Order: sequence, then structure tokens, then C-alpha cells
Amino acid sequence: MSADRVLFDAPGPVGRRRIRIATAATVLVIAAVIALAVKQFGDNGQLAAERWTPFGQLSYLRFLWDGLKGTLLAAGVAALISFPAGAVFGLMRISVRRPVRWLAGVYVELFRAVPLLLLIYAFLLGLPRLGVNLPIFWKLVVPIVLVNTAVLAELVRAGIGAVDRGQFEAGEAVGLRRGQVLRLVVLPQALRLIVPTLVTQLTTLLKDTTLGYVVSYPELMKQGNNLTVYTHLLIQTYLIVAVVYVVINLLLSQLAHALDRRLARRRVVDAGGAAGGGGAPHVAHETEPAGDRIAPMGQLF
Amino acid sequence: MTEPLVRIAGVNKSFGSFQALHDIDLDVARGEVVVIVGASGSGKSTLCRCINRLETIDSGTITIDGKPLPEEGRALARLRADVGMVFQSFNLFGHKTALENVMLGPVKVRGVRAAEAREQARALLRRVGVDDKENNRPSELSGGQQQRVAIARALAMQPKVMLFDEPTSALDPEMIKEVLDVMVGLAGEGMTMVVVTHEMGFARQAGDRVVYMDAGRVVEIDTPDRFFTDARSDRARDFLSKILAH
Ligand SMILES: Nc1ncnc2c1ncn2[C@@H]1O[C@H](COP(=O)(O)OP(=O)(O)OP(=O)(O)O)[C@@H](O)[C@H]1O
Ligand SMILES: [Mg+2]
Repeated sequence: MSADRVLFDAPGPVGRRRIRIATAATVLVIAAVIALAVKQFGDNGQLAAERWTPFGQLSYLRFLWDGLKGTLLAAGVAALISFPAGAVFGLMRISVRRPVRWLAGVYVELFRAVPLLLLIYAFLLGLPRLGVNLPIFWKLVVPIVLVNTAVLAELVRAGIGAVDRGQFEAGEAVGLRRGQVLRLVVLPQALRLIVPTLVTQLTTLLKDTTLGYVVSYPELMKQGNNLTVYTHLLIQTYLIVAVVYVVINLLLSQLAHALDRRLARRRVVDAGGAAGGGGAPHVAHETEPAGDRIAPMGQLF
Repeated sequence: MTEPLVRIAGVNKSFGSFQALHDIDLDVARGEVVVIVGASGSGKSTLCRCINRLETIDSGTITIDGKPLPEEGRALARLRADVGMVFQSFNLFGHKTALENVMLGPVKVRGVRAAEAREQARALLRRVGVDDKENNRPSELSGGQQQRVAIARALAMQPKVMLFDEPTSALDPEMIKEVLDVMVGLAGEGMTMVVVTHEMGFARQAGDRVVYMDAGRVVEIDTPDRFFTDARSDRARDFLSKILAH
């Protein structure tokens, strides 16, 4: 859409020609590379029909499909926990209370630094010795949540930091409490700013689940791995697995775009609907009663 | 007209080791329009922002309508609701339409029902002449329109006093007038106003008193006519010769 127009001028005739030439060149190079790879595969017999037809079998597909379900479940649960938790920790980092700020800071710095694999080993090997033996699913998901919450907290904090100070001040000047300023004025704008990065983080989280093989959790990667043990079709299996991951990521970016557009549109609809006197864009909860206020300007209206 | 609406007494304010305000005393009567002028860095904005505690003060007292400024929390928020503020850079809520900008305070702070707040907001936007833009977001408005929406937003809280910190300094010349007209109208209707501005036309037309600040001190307080034609201090005369030069 207009997103690139914000950063760059719309290209002129010379620019457009250059872009066309560059695009054509890129496409040619990529096509050449692919052709070369395919030829190599063919020369090594990797394209032979008998190496691919097994994947038409229901059992093979079912096996990979179970892996995909495992991946989506682990990633979904991890995301559902770590996104809200990340928002909470991000807000804690800018709290007015020093101990709260400090606590969140320690958490974030710690879990952003620790490699995920190490954490998984801790849950797999370390904690069981201390008597904490989680189910396999959680041995994978809890470490992913711990790390991603820390990263997301940093993202949220950065997003809030990127919102103009004047927005805080205007909110406070209107009489909103600090929490209201954050919730009603700052956070919506901060989230808008970090939507692309949030999606990137979601794909990272999805890929984090490939460490499922460490704890023997049957996600896509692990299932693919198991399959190769029986079939020895390494290249074919991993190609298919890779394609699936790419497709999921593409879907996620599509989702992000749709979300972005919806956010942009809903505002207009809100206000438009308001013209009918119907939908109220603001629900009047958590308000303070007008109380004993004086209306010195009453006569002006 | 017994007790001043805003009373500033013995106020000092430092940023680190730099003292931005020295012993400021200033009373603003009900319905009065006080214009603050002074060179850049003389502390005008700081003083203005102290009145609704966007800046904290180190010593002295500020009372509004007889009540000392609360230091924090609910009481402070309630007081701020009674003090309208208009910023040099407008600071409209970027993710909300003009109408929503005006409605937010009444609904969330005053507890006004949405439908009622919307009618009020429409009336205010009409009054400042941007009712045709009620569904536009700030980025789709001109500077002058944004500032008029910001004024409507402040008015929607039915404030006892309005603070303006250089409301026209970020505007192109042709937009300055549309904003000043709204402000003159407000003054004429009896609004109590503290206005930091170098618009002498406004000061003369609407101002009751001019406060001249220099290096964090109030140096001179006088009527606009006397101040602009016959300032007493050398520093004020020097300052005036500079702003009159362009
Ligand atoms: N947050 C701050 N931290 C440190 N110093 C500050 C801060 N805000 C203002 N000052 C200093 O205090 C002094 C007064 O600033 P203030 O913004 O009140 O001036 P002003 O009269 O409004 O100037 P201008 O006409 O340029 O807006 C300046 O020297 C400024 O550098
Ligand atoms: Mg200033």
C-alpha cells in the first residue's frame, strides 16, 4: 500500500525502468540457481519418481501432519502465554515503582541472554533431579515462553518508548490516570508501531519449537527426522518440511497485513458508525463519576 | 473577584543544577487573560507546565481555586481535568479521529455517556470550525485544524482555566489567525487563560495583563498597552525591540 511511499518517493520514469531491469535480473539469477539445483538433484537421482511417490502415501502424510499439529499446538500455546506476559513485563519495566521495574529488568535481561537450548536442557535434565519433572510438552513450551516473554517485553517497551512524549502529556493534561494514559493512548499507538516486529517474533517462536527434537516432542521437525530414519529420504523429507515452514510464515505475514489493515479501517468505521448514533467507540467503564465538579463554562454552551 | 483562581507563590524549579524558575509570584484572577512573554529559555513553558504539574516544583505553592496542587494519583488527575492545556505541538491522540480526541476525556474521566459526549464534542468542533473533519485523524488535518481540535479537546472538560504554551508557534502564518480567533472568542466569553505567546495582536486585543519573564524570573507585569509601548525595564525594552524587528 502506501507504506513504502512513506519512506520513499514514488519512483519516476527512470526509477521505474531501473526497478524493472533489476527485477528481471534478480528473477533470472534466482531461476538459474534453481535450475542448477534441480539439475544437481536430477544428476544424483534425487528427482527419481520412487524417491517422491512415497510421500503420496497416506501414512507418510499422516506422520508429517501429526508433526505439523504438534508444532502448531506448541507454538500456539507458547504464543498465547508469552504475548500477554510480554506486554505485562514490558509495562512493568516502565512502572513508577522501582522494585517492580527492577524485577522486570532482571527477568528480561536474564532470559534474553540465556540460550533457549540451555533452558530446555535445564527442564529436561536439571529440574527432574530437583523433583520437578514436567510433561514433555511443557518441557518444550515453558522454556520457549520464558525466552519469548523476555524478548516481547523488550519490544513492547521499545514501542512505548517510540511514542511521542507529547502523547503522555496530552493524556495526563486531559485528566487521565497514568494507567489510562498507557492503556487508552500510548499502548494502542505503541502496538501499531511494533506489529511487524511482533510477527517476526511469532515466526521466531514457531521456529523455536523445532527444538522439540531435544525433548522428543513430536513436532514437525522431529516427525520429519523420525521419518528419515525409516525411509532414508533425507533431502525429500526436509525439503517438504522446509516448504511447510515457509508456507506457515507466509500465512503469518498475510495475517499481519490483514491485521494492520483492519486496525486502520476499524477506526474509520468506529467514527462513521458513531454518526448513526449507534455504536459507541468508547465504553464508559472505569470512569470516575462527575461528582461535585463545577461547570464554570456552562453558560458558554 | 475575591480570591485568585490561580495563585503561584514563591515557586522555585530546577533541572539538575540549573534553576529554571526563581521565586515566581503570580496571581490569575477569575476570567483574566494573562499573557506571558520572554526570550527563549526564560522559563515560560516551565511555568506554564508547573500549573498543571507536568513539571514538579522544588519549593513554593501553587493553588487552583483555593486548593493546593495535589502531588499525585487520583486527586492530581482530577485537578488536571479542570485545567485545560494546549501545546505548541498540538499533541492530538494520533490513533483517534478528531471527534474521538474530543470525546475521550469526558467519557473516560468525567464518566459522561458516549452519546452525550459525542453531541458535546460535535458542538465544540463546530464552534472551533472543524466539524467537517470530525472523522479525520490528526495526520489528515492541517496544523491550524489540529490546534483547533486540541482546543476543543481541552474545552470538552469544561476547565476552570486554560493554559496555552505557544499555541501558534508551529503554524504557518495563514493558520495563526484561525487559531487566535478561537482564543479571542474564548477570552471574550470569560475564560480564564494563561497564554505563552509572542502574538502582540492577541495580547493587546484579549490580554488583561502581560507578564515579562527573563532568566527564570518575573521581571515585569503590566497591561498590554503600557508594556508594549512603555516597558519599564531595560531588558524588556531590549526584548521588545527584538520581537518587533521581525
Ligand atoms: N526537562 C528539562 N531538563 C533540563 N532543562 C530543562 C528542561 N526543560 C527546560 N529546561 C531548561 O529550562 C529553561 C527554561 O525552559 P523553558 O522551556 O521554560 O523556556 P521557554 O521560555 O519556554 O523557552 P522557549 O521560548 O524557547 O519555548 C531552559 O534553559 C531550558 O533549557
Ligand atoms: Mg517554551
